[in-house]
Amino acid sequence: MKGWTGNILRINLSKRTFKTERFSEDFALKWIGGRGFALKILWDELKPGVDALGPDNKLIVALGPIAGVPMPNSGKTIVAAKSPLTGTYGDGNIGTHVTIQLRKAGYDIIIIEGRSADPEYVFIQDGDVSFLPAGEIWGKGTYEAQEWLEKKYGKTAGILSIGPAGENKVLYAVVRSMEGRAGGRPGIGAVMGSKNLKAIVVKGSQDIPMADPKTMKERGLDDLRAVGAMNKKAGWSVQGTNAVLAWCNEMAALPVRNMRHSHHPDAWKLDGQRTSEARVATYGCPNCTMRCGIAVLDHEGHESELDYENVGMLGPNLEIFDLKQMASLNWLCDDLGMDTISAGSALSFYADAIDHGATQGDFKFGDAERAKELMRLLARRRGVGDLLADGSLKMAKRFGHNSEAYAIQCKGLDLSAYNCKYVPGQALAFGTSAIGAHHKEAWIITYELKHSERGGYGRDKAQKVIELQRIRSSIFESLPICRFPWIELGWDLKNYPEYFNLATGANWTLEDFTNTGDRIYALLKAFWTREHPDTDRTADYPPRIYFDPAIADQEGLIAGKHLELDKYDVMLDHYYDIRGWDRRGIPTRRTMERLGLAEEAEQLAQTAGVS
Amino acid sequence: MRVRVRLIGAFAQRCGFTERELELPEGLTAGELLSRLKLRRLRKFVSREGLPVRMAQPLKDGDRIVVAPIFSGG
Repeated sequence: MKGWTGNILRINLSKRTFKTERFSEDFALKWIGGRGFALKILWDELKPGVDALGPDNKLIVALGPIAGVPMPNSGKTIVAAKSPLTGTYGDGNIGTHVTIQLRKAGYDIIIIEGRSADPEYVFIQDGDVSFLPAGEIWGKGTYEAQEWLEKKYGKTAGILSIGPAGENKVLYAVVRSMEGRAGGRPGIGAVMGSKNLKAIVVKGSQDIPMADPKTMKERGLDDLRAVGAMNKKAGWSVQGTNAVLAWCNEMAALPVRNMRHSHHPDAWKLDGQRTSEARVATYGCPNCTMRCGIAVLDHEGHESELDYENVGMLGPNLEIFDLKQMASLNWLCDDLGMDTISAGSALSFYADAIDHGATQGDFKFGDAERAKELMRLLARRRGVGDLLADGSLKMAKRFGHNSEAYAIQCKGLDLSAYNCKYVPGQALAFGTSAIGAHHKEAWIITYELKHSERGGYGRDKAQKVIELQRIRSSIFESLPICRFPWIELGWDLKNYPEYFNLATGANWTLEDFTNTGDRIYALLKAFWTREHPDTDRTADYPPRIYFDPAIADQEGLIAGKHLELDKYDVMLDHYYDIRGWDRRGIPTRRTMERLGLAEEAEQLAQTAGVS
Repeated sequence: MRVRVRLIGAFAQRCGFTERELELPEGLTAGELLSRLKLRRLRKFVSREGLPVRMAQPLKDGDRIVVAPIFSGG
C-alpha cells in the first residue's frame, strides 16, 4: 500500500494500553481517509445510543494519503467522535503540525477509547505512546497549555489540546492547535475532556510512503510556489475570509441580532478593511500558501486571530461593533477552547429569549462586558453558564415559550455566519448538512445570487448543494486538505485526484471522488437515523423563524421577504430524489446497496425503518 | 451620468477606494466600467440592488454597483 501508512494506533486510556493495527487497501480505497475513515470506524465500533460523553464513545484523529506532504495547503487533520451536541457523527478539520508528525510517526488514524482516571496527555513518538500527567495544565487556557507543551516538545511538535470548555464538557468545545487553529464544532473538545485527556502530542521521524515520491516532491514544490503566486495576484490574504463580511452586509445575508436582521449600518466597523488595518500579525497552517489568520489586538491587549465566522457571530449577531471588544470575545473563545460560532449563537439566543420573555436575565444585545463574563461562566459551567454551555437548542427546550423557533440551528448545531432568511438554497445547505448547520459542507450563496434566482427553490439549487457536499466530503474532508486554493483562487479541482494518484498509484478521476462522497453522505445520514430512529424530513429544515413573515426585514434589499415552507419542501424533495433518499430523508436500501453499503443498510434496518 | 461604485475585499486595496461616486459616459456597460477599474479579468461578482449585473449591461445614472471577489464562505 502506498500513500497511506496502513496503520491505526489504538489507545485505551482506561487500561493505559496501545497497539498498532493494520487496515486494508480495500478499506482505504472505499473511504479515502479523514472523515471517511472516522465515519466508518465510528459506525462499526459504537453501539447505537452510546453516551457521547461516556467512556464508550471514541475519539478519532484521521488523515489521508496526501495529508502532510509538501503541496498547497495540506496541513489538515480530522478530529471526530459521536457529538454530544447533535447526538450523531460529528467532526472538524484543523490545521496542525499533527498532520505531518502523525504521518511521520507511521500512522493515518488514532482511535482513543476509555477514560483516564486522572487528567493526562498522551505523547506519541513513532511507535511508542506515553501516558503522562496533565495536572500542571488542567484548568489552564489553550494558549498556556500549548506553550507549556511546546517548551517540552518543541515548536514543530504536533499538539492537539483542549481548554477549560472541553474539560467542563461544554457541548460545543473544540480541539485547538498552534495557538490559533480550532476544529470540531460539534463538541469534539468535550469528548476529549470527558476522557480526561488534555492533549495529544505527536512526533515522528519516518518517511511518508508515496507511489511516486520524486514527481510528488517536484510537483508539490512547484505548486506551492504557483498557488502562492495566485494568492498574491488576487490579493486574497490582504483581508482573508473577513472580506466576506462587507459583501454579506451588502447582500442582506449578515447575521444581526440572532439573525433577526440581515444588514446593519455599523457593520463596516468590523469589516475586512478594518481588521486588515488593525492587523498585528498573520498566521496560517502547515504547508499554507494563503494564510488567513489575521491577528488584531483585543480590548485587553491579547493577539486575537480573526476570521469571518468569528467576526460575524461575535460582532453583528450580538450587535457588538467595537472591533477590540469583539476581538476580546474571540480571544476568550480560543483560550477557553470553544467554538466561536456556537458561543456567539448561544449568547445571541439567550439575549433574544430574554427580549421575548422566554426567560429572565440581565444580558442584552450589545453588552460586550457582560458577554465576556458569560463566556467565562459557561466555560466552567457556573451559574447561568451551565445553561449556555448546552447550546441554543437545548436551552430552547428548557425555556419553552416557542423559543425553539428562534434557536438558530439545524440538528442541534448552530448556523455559521450566513443569514439565509431569504437565501433558500443556502438554507437547504444548512438544513441537509448531516452533521448540523456547518458552512464547510456546502456554501452556495455566491452561486445562488450570481447564477440563479435568489428567491427561487429550483432543482438546480438542490443539485448544487449535493455537488458541493460530494466534493467537500470526499476531497476536502477525507484527503483531508484545505479547500481555499480551489474555492477562493480557482486552483483546478483536478489537481486533487492527480496528487491522490501520485501518492497511491491509483488511477482515480473526479468521478471516483464524487461517488465516494455520495457513499460518505449516505452513511452520515444513516448514522443520524440510527441515533434518531424517529427522524423525519423536519430534521432537514432550517430554523423555523426563517418561515415567519413577522421577522421579514422591514426595509432594504429583502424587505418583506421570507422563506416559504411549501416551496422549501418541494426543493427538499428534489434533494431527496437526486440522492435516492426517501421522503423522510433516509437513504433507501437500494441507494445504500448501489453505494456499496448493503451491510450498513441491514444494520440500519435493525434500529430504524429503511424503505 | 454619475454611478456609485462599492468595492469589496482585495478590490478596494487594488483600486485605492472602498466606495466612490464616478462621473461616467452615458451608456457605459458594466464590463467597460470594470475595464476602467482594471478588474475585468479577475474572478468577481458584480451586483446592483442585490441582483447580478451582466458585463454587457449598460449602467444608468444613479446606479450603485457592488463589485466583490468570489467567496467560498470560509
